[in-house]
Amino acid sequence: MGSIKTSKLRAALERHAAISESKLGKRHPHAASWFAKRGIRPGDIRLHAARLASAGALAGAMLMGTPFISKGASFGTDKIANAPLDSIQNLFSDNLKSLLPSSVHPLNPEIEDQISRIIEEFWGIRASAKLDGEHLNTTYGYMGAEQHLPHFPGDSVSQHDAYQQSGITPGKGAWGYFANSKNELTDDLVQKEKYYVAVQTLYLPDWETRLPYLREWYKYRKVMVINPVNGKTVVAVVADAGPANWTGKSFGASPEIMAYLDMKDGAQRGPAILFFVDDKDNAIPLGPVERRNK
Amino acid sequence: MTKVFYDHLLIIEEVIAVFDLNAIKGNERKELLQLIDKTMHHEILDTILTHLPRAHHEEFLLRFHSSPHDMSLMTYLNEHAGIDVEKEILKAANTVKKTLIKEIEAAKK
Repeated sequence: MGSIKTSKLRAALERHAAISESKLGKRHPHAASWFAKRGIRPGDIRLHAARLASAGALAGAMLMGTPFISKGASFGTDKIANAPLDSIQNLFSDNLKSLLPSSVHPLNPEIEDQISRIIEEFWGIRASAKLDGEHLNTTYGYMGAEQHLPHFPGDSVSQHDAYQQSGITPGKGAWGYFANSKNELTDDLVQKEKYYVAVQTLYLPDWETRLPYLREWYKYRKVMVINPVNGKTVVAVVADAGPANWTGKSFGASPEIMAYLDMKDGAQRGPAILFFVDDKDNAIPLGPVERRNK
Repeated sequence: MTKVFYDHLLIIEEVIAVFDLNAIKGNERKELLQLIDKTMHHEILDTILTHLPRAHHEEFLLRFHSSPHDMSLMTYLNEHAGIDVEKEILKAANTVKKTLIKEIEAAKK
């Protein structure tokens, strides 16, 4: 290990920064003047990016009448009630994108906490990566399209009111049928099938050793699913296990969820954030989140 | 730290490791890293604009200015430059790092 003369190093690094800026200006004068007209120096692009992120956050805060990522702030609902949904979703998406890594992989706890705060600020819903000490192997991964799940033994896709072209799985979900018979099927269970996700419980490190507890804990566990690309958000329940790791996907979702989140590319998959919803009173309805929860 | 779409190619951790080895800490570390960051942006932008045909500069700059973190910019560059821009950025970043690490070594008392 050596000892650095930082004044000498600073002078050298300042020289390199100045030379490279001057070289850029000489080789691409139109670009240099383009930046100059906007009051930005090319080397300060990260500072500009930070300002944009803050502006997005501020705009979100203005829409909602509360400081961005404040703790315990009271919320004025009037402004967001009047804001166009796509504006809110765009701002939500921008805030998420400024935090997410450039490639899709598990997030660190600090980022997960920041995302929780953003969710609460935008949607008034408490959602987190960890709930009751439980955490999936990843909260940010690719989500793929699943088929409908049968509501009860003998159910067919024709009895599902939308996205029949997606088909229906030949067997029941990992937590069994939603009801034992058609007569026992309730509106609540129909909603659960419409907005269900599959998560990789099978790969949890303690799945085998804590199976009875985890099986109950995950059954119909309420989750928030977010497409960070467009900010569209759905509240759903866990009703199936999967997908297999070899697929490259971490989550699966019902046809209704995939359609709402606009994950309609050729591969029928897209990056998604999946957090647990803290909703002990069961007050948050399943389905698209399009206004702030009161 | 706020992200820029080519950050994953800079692998700035290599410079940070040299800072760690030489016990450069606190505000000094932050200021010196900012200077390195500036040089990186100048050199990467130079690389991008050199390979991207002039007709696409305006559109690229507009998109970069409005969403510096947008990963689809890389796709845009690859499509319009007709070469593997990521490879060129990686090469430029490596050259900058090598030069700047030499400066760190040269600043030893």
